[in-house]
Amino acid sequence: MSEPEILQGRKPDAWHLKPPFDFRILVLCALAVCCLGYSAQRLDLGRLFSDVGAFFMASAGLKESSSIGEGISGLSGGMFPPVFDERTPVEYVDDLEARLARPFAHLETTATDQTSLDPGTLEIVTRQIETQVLVEPLGYLFLVLLKMLETVEIAIWATLFAVVASLPLSVLCARNYAPHLAIYAAARTFVSFLRSVPELISALFLVLAFGFGAIPGIVALALHSIGFLAKFFAEDIESADVRPQEAIAVTGAGPLAVLRLAVLPQVLPSFTALTLYILDRNVRMATVIGLVGAGGIGQELKGRFDMFQYDRVATLLLVIFLTVLLLDFLAARIRRVLL
Amino acid sequence: MIAGALKTPIADARIQAPDTHTGDTPISPRGRLLVCDGLSKRFGAGTPALDNVTFSIDRPQLTVLLGSSGSGKTTLLRTIAGLVPLDAGRIEIAGAELTPASLARVRRRLGMVHQDFGLADRLTAAQNVMAGAAVNLAWPRLLFQAYPRGVRLRACELLAEVGFTENQANRKARELSGGQRQRVGIARALIGRPQLLLADEPVANLDPQTASGILSLMRAAVAAHGAGILCSLHQTDLACQFADRIIGLKAGRLVFDGSPAELTAETAAALFASATRDSDGGSDVSEPRQER
Repeated sequence: MSEPEILQGRKPDAWHLKPPFDFRILVLCALAVCCLGYSAQRLDLGRLFSDVGAFFMASAGLKESSSIGEGISGLSGGMFPPVFDERTPVEYVDDLEARLARPFAHLETTATDQTSLDPGTLEIVTRQIETQVLVEPLGYLFLVLLKMLETVEIAIWATLFAVVASLPLSVLCARNYAPHLAIYAAARTFVSFLRSVPELISALFLVLAFGFGAIPGIVALALHSIGFLAKFFAEDIESADVRPQEAIAVTGAGPLAVLRLAVLPQVLPSFTALTLYILDRNVRMATVIGLVGAGGIGQELKGRFDMFQYDRVATLLLVIFLTVLLLDFLAARIRRVLL
Repeated sequence: MIAGALKTPIADARIQAPDTHTGDTPISPRGRLLVCDGLSKRFGAGTPALDNVTFSIDRPQLTVLLGSSGSGKTTLLRTIAGLVPLDAGRIEIAGAELTPASLARVRRRLGMVHQDFGLADRLTAAQNVMAGAAVNLAWPRLLFQAYPRGVRLRACELLAEVGFTENQANRKARELSGGQRQRVGIARALIGRPQLLLADEPVANLDPQTASGILSLMRAAVAAHGAGILCSLHQTDLACQFADRIIGLKAGRLVFDGSPAELTAETAAALFASATRDSDGGSDVSEPRQER
């Protein structure tokens, strides 16, 4: 509308229409391609393509072996079949009676041939050694499920703490409800700081402070989640429709009443969705922070991985995958009921 | 605090329907219902949204602010509600001057109805109405929307008054039709027993028949609740049909003030004639949203 008279004056066949894209965008794209090329060289991305190419050639029989193929076949060989049972030699079991009483638990006798040199006759003899083994067919799976439950519990507590803390914090982070600009700036900075520290790093330090176990995991996840939730809650509050808020404010009601009666009903669906996302994310992150000793299934995973027991790692990964799938399904159900 | 809230139910006594609204005596012993003295407001460097607007309302009646879009109707209503700070001028509501310090106190005498209803979509009609009485609510009650019995009772009465059934009162606002939503908006504005009800284009989004229904309801509210109503409209026919008094605004200036009978066809036509090139994209459209 800078020169409406001129535009109105021109005949339609002389109108100038804005092009869908202009030269500057092409230049920007070319620049981006150059930057990516430089970065690829720095990161030795060529190897990625040559390795993947070699893998496909090897699988097609055009090449004898490839490094990726060897790695995958070694790992998958070790991972299959996943181990669900627990076999313990009887001499290592303290409470044999109690463990035998568990469902499906039974004793098995295995015979192994042992060859040795008879020192008297200097002949090689084969002897059969029988060992009694306590077999619990689902023993390991049960242990893994217990660890998974602990992980989910860590995630739930972390999410709960995060929601409780970020609700008031988000009001201070919302420009239109912060009592003072300085408080707003301080709250925003604090929240950004929380968000900028990855859980894995804060868990490392918190394990030093609280010791191994679930507590450092809960705190680490909660701190990061507060940073995330407070920011997004605040943005929802800021962008909520002002008209219902004005309608309540005009009656003389204070900001608390406006927040409760005009803002909360508007932002509740979004809050719920964000909280469910954070819960889902916390379950996944809780498995990861277990790697540094913050409790849960990650601790078990790390231990088994370091002992090269890939068949047990397979069981763990299977359980983690199924849990995430189940939680996704549950979250969808909850969302449908609540919204 | 809960006990305090219980002791001051808003609906302890219904205001008797005053018959003064047709008479000449002012109802407020403390002063006139509304005094606007030299109101001026300019957004940015553009044409003024309000230019030295002076008028007063002395008794409960339906006063219509008539003018085209961009004539300053919305800005005028929003300044009276304390949502837009004034550049110059003075506003007095029922004897109390509107200042930043007195804002919360003065607002208790106000109710507001919006063009797009301003309801919380996920709350029920009744919950929306009761939200208008949240002023004195202690925070635990607020949190659980546990309104005192008096408020609940009055909300039901008001909803029945605007033609709602019990079933409809418990329906969510988003499930209601436009006319029903505006009825809820009116009930919400009335629950706080306002002395002055501000209505910003309350029928702009409604079909003509529903619009007439809403305006008759507002006229009836003047009689039943003794509240003065200042209502902005852009339909001359509706204004002439329902108003006790018409105030004509054009480009932020008060150009007409009188009864519907005094509004001649020429005056009405002049009110809507486009004087400036951008009369259809005026100041109340481009007005920035205010922070509370």
